[in-house]
Amino acid sequence: MKNRSILQVLFLGLLWGSLISPVSATPVFEIEIRNHLFSPSELSIPVGTKVKLLIKNADPSAEEFESYELNREKVIPGNSTGVIFIGPLNKGVYPFFGEFFPKTAQGNIHVD
Amino acid sequence: MLINAVVIILREVLEASLIMGVLLALSQLNLVSKSWCIKGLSLGGVLAVFYAANLTIISAVHGGVGQEIVNAGLYIFIFIFVLTIIYSLRDKQKSNVTVAAMFACVVLAVVREGSEIIVYIQGFSTINELFAPVLIGSSIGTGIGLSIGVFVYYLIVNLPVLYGLRLGFFVLVFIASGMVSQAIQMLLQADLLTSQLPVWNTSEIVSEQSFVGEILFAMIGYEATPTLVQVVLYAFSILLTSFMAINSIRCIQRRGLS
Repeated sequence: MKNRSILQVLFLGLLWGSLISPVSATPVFEIEIRNHLFSPSELSIPVGTKVKLLIKNADPSAEEFESYELNREKVIPGNSTGVIFIGPLNKGVYPFFGEFFPKTAQGNIHVD
Repeated sequence: MLINAVVIILREVLEASLIMGVLLALSQLNLVSKSWCIKGLSLGGVLAVFYAANLTIISAVHGGVGQEIVNAGLYIFIFIFVLTIIYSLRDKQKSNVTVAAMFACVVLAVVREGSEIIVYIQGFSTINELFAPVLIGSSIGTGIGLSIGVFVYYLIVNLPVLYGLRLGFFVLVFIASGMVSQAIQMLLQADLLTSQLPVWNTSEIVSEQSFVGEILFAMIGYEATPTLVQVVLYAFSILLTSFMAINSIRCIQRRGLS
């Protein structure tokens, strides 16, 4: 009986684990915003892998990281760092831009 | 920069304005007090300033995804309150509940959209040559957004009562389901829900960046590349809210249209 409840706990734990993915194995990539430009503006990430983007806004004004292709949108206040998880993604080029300064703040994520 | 400001502010204002227009029209049709609107706008405005002023701190919570958690929470609560409104409108005795839920909906929608507007405009306050065009563009965007809400209000209240009621509930069903979809989007972005590959891609047909795409996004929560969780929960909330809306319309018809 005790074994059975241990098994149940293990099973529920596994189920929970599969729903809430582990953070430790996620590769991290950094992008900096300075003078309303992304650096690097071209970033390569692996196919089918979840990635953590650290977006450091070095400008005093806020910026909104936005990408229709990635389905992502996040306001990053001035002089702060924002975290955005993207992927897993199919092979391709996914443009992103800063919604507040869209003329200069542009970039692409290359999934290959 | 001016055009960009118009588009950004219009997008933010449109969502809140649509919700207010529909709720005001449903209040009018059901002879419910409309006092919630000004109160909700005021409290929502104050809380939006607070949220915007503390955005850096809030964003840093829970490993940098505090903003997503708060936004997902706002969307989920708007969904719950819209459901409450759909349910409570059927019963005249529950008009207090209806008013309270409408008040809460407006507060939350204004916090969500208002805070982004404040952060956006505030960012330009230090850039002298851009501040004026941004302010002018923002005013135009606000004007267009509010006009669409006013248009929806007059459209609903000027239809024959039964049709107005049906249209009002119909728009609410999609607004509510759009909230569910956006909440899931936030949880995926924060990695609190496991991301998956999108189940389809309709951006070739209607791009999210197009005018039609933006309007569809505000009205039905359109996503060109949704994930399976989004599709399933969106469909479930459409079914649930439609079922409740149809029942409420029947109840209102039975007790007699005002």
